[in-house]
Amino acid sequence: MGVGLRAQNEAKRVKVRLFALCLALLGATLAQGLTAAELAATDTSRAARWNTIAAYIFGDRKIEATETLIKLEAPPRAQDAALVPVTLIMPEKEKIKSVYLVIDDNPSPLAAHITFGPAADPGSLQLRVRIDTYTNVHAVAETVDGRLFGTVAFVKASGGCSAPIDSTDEEAMQGTGEMRMKFAAAAVPGEPMQATLMIRHPNFNGMQMNQLTRNYTPSRYIDNISISSGTSKIFDLSADISLSTNPVLTFSFIPDGKDPIRVIISDTKAGRWEQTFATPASTN
Amino acid sequence: MRSLIGIAAPAAIILGTALFSAVASAGSADIQEPQGLWTGAMYGPTPATLGGAVVVDLAAVEALLAEKPLLLDVGPAARKPEVLSGDRPWLPTHRSIPNAIWMPGAGVAPLAAGREELFYRRIGDLVQGDKAKPIVVFCRAECWGSWNAGKRLVLDGYTSVRWFPAGIDGWWDQHETAEVKPDAGWSAEPTP
Repeated sequence: MGVGLRAQNEAKRVKVRLFALCLALLGATLAQGLTAAELAATDTSRAARWNTIAAYIFGDRKIEATETLIKLEAPPRAQDAALVPVTLIMPEKEKIKSVYLVIDDNPSPLAAHITFGPAADPGSLQLRVRIDTYTNVHAVAETVDGRLFGTVAFVKASGGCSAPIDSTDEEAMQGTGEMRMKFAAAAVPGEPMQATLMIRHPNFNGMQMNQLTRNYTPSRYIDNISISSGTSKIFDLSADISLSTNPVLTFSFIPDGKDPIRVIISDTKAGRWEQTFATPASTN
Repeated sequence: MRSLIGIAAPAAIILGTALFSAVASAGSADIQEPQGLWTGAMYGPTPATLGGAVVVDLAAVEALLAEKPLLLDVGPAARKPEVLSGDRPWLPTHRSIPNAIWMPGAGVAPLAAGREELFYRRIGDLVQGDKAKPIVVFCRAECWGSWNAGKRLVLDGYTSVRWFPAGIDGWWDQHETAEVKPDAGWSAEPTP
């Protein structure tokens, strides 16, 4: 354990003590709130959980805390746990090689790993995920020089992974693989532009019970989304059971002014879909 | 050393939680109690009552904690997909009311052969034969599993069954949770 962590733990203990004091002062008005003991216990267990996950994903690579390299925007309280919008913001985008989204308490915590290519504009990326429980969500950026930087947000959500299916599985599969792309503006070669990709796919994660048949619907979910501008990669997204039904991705890229955007999707039942979208040309 | 960023979040939520009322899930007056156990879909609106048991809200559960009730969580265990992408880790975790006994799926009806007997045997052990001991049974909100598990206890002559329909959703809005493992006695005999 390094000096930094000890310092952090000490700061944490001071914070906990301060909290105990606050709770004591506020007395009756916060009688239903967390006690200092509850707070300390949960911090410990959540930190231990993150350590376990980080060891699986990153081995012994160090993850540095950051306020600037990656930011995570997620609703503190999800309206729909099966459809939680999460935005990753990377202000120093030229330094970013890839980003990881980890939902700590989902049973398969690594929700997505996005590796950017030369045609990417890695300043921001939005996606929609399933969140199963009140949990920390971590975003980790890997820089081009191989360092890892992380940030965390707490999201209150419940039951996103096992949200039941109310139609027949066949109905849910209709139109699977259909895509639409929406461009925010006309393309100016060399200038970043934003696009939103909408994919039709039920993303069955194997944890959902069909309410009609009371059987678990076998898993079939998107495991990879690859987007290019001509022959130049925008990004590869390695996905998991946490991606929502009918995924929506908002990303930015650098159009070259002539080539279309090509999207290739695969799923865990050998489904493969490919589509190209012409970028809207600038009128001047 | 990699843990620097894992410990920041919960402190921020405390004051926030005070602003929200507990998740409302007191059951629906429109839903009638079934005769015996509910064998329909496990998730959906549940009745407002459970004959032979007392329906409790969060405040009642908090008040009851001093009596050291048996806290019985029957929420389901995460089900592993047949295929996991790449070499992703499968690390299911379950958070519950601290000190709860977690018997995943114990509210399913019908249970596989022998499981209901095991349920009664295990509960009997946990309360040391005291059928008057308070038992708070819960899962998530709008989950028939806790209703069924409570019904099973009532049918077997337990006299202090408390059904907490808001469940873990009602609890963690105001309190922290603890990671719990499935009850060993319940899980030792595998679910078919």
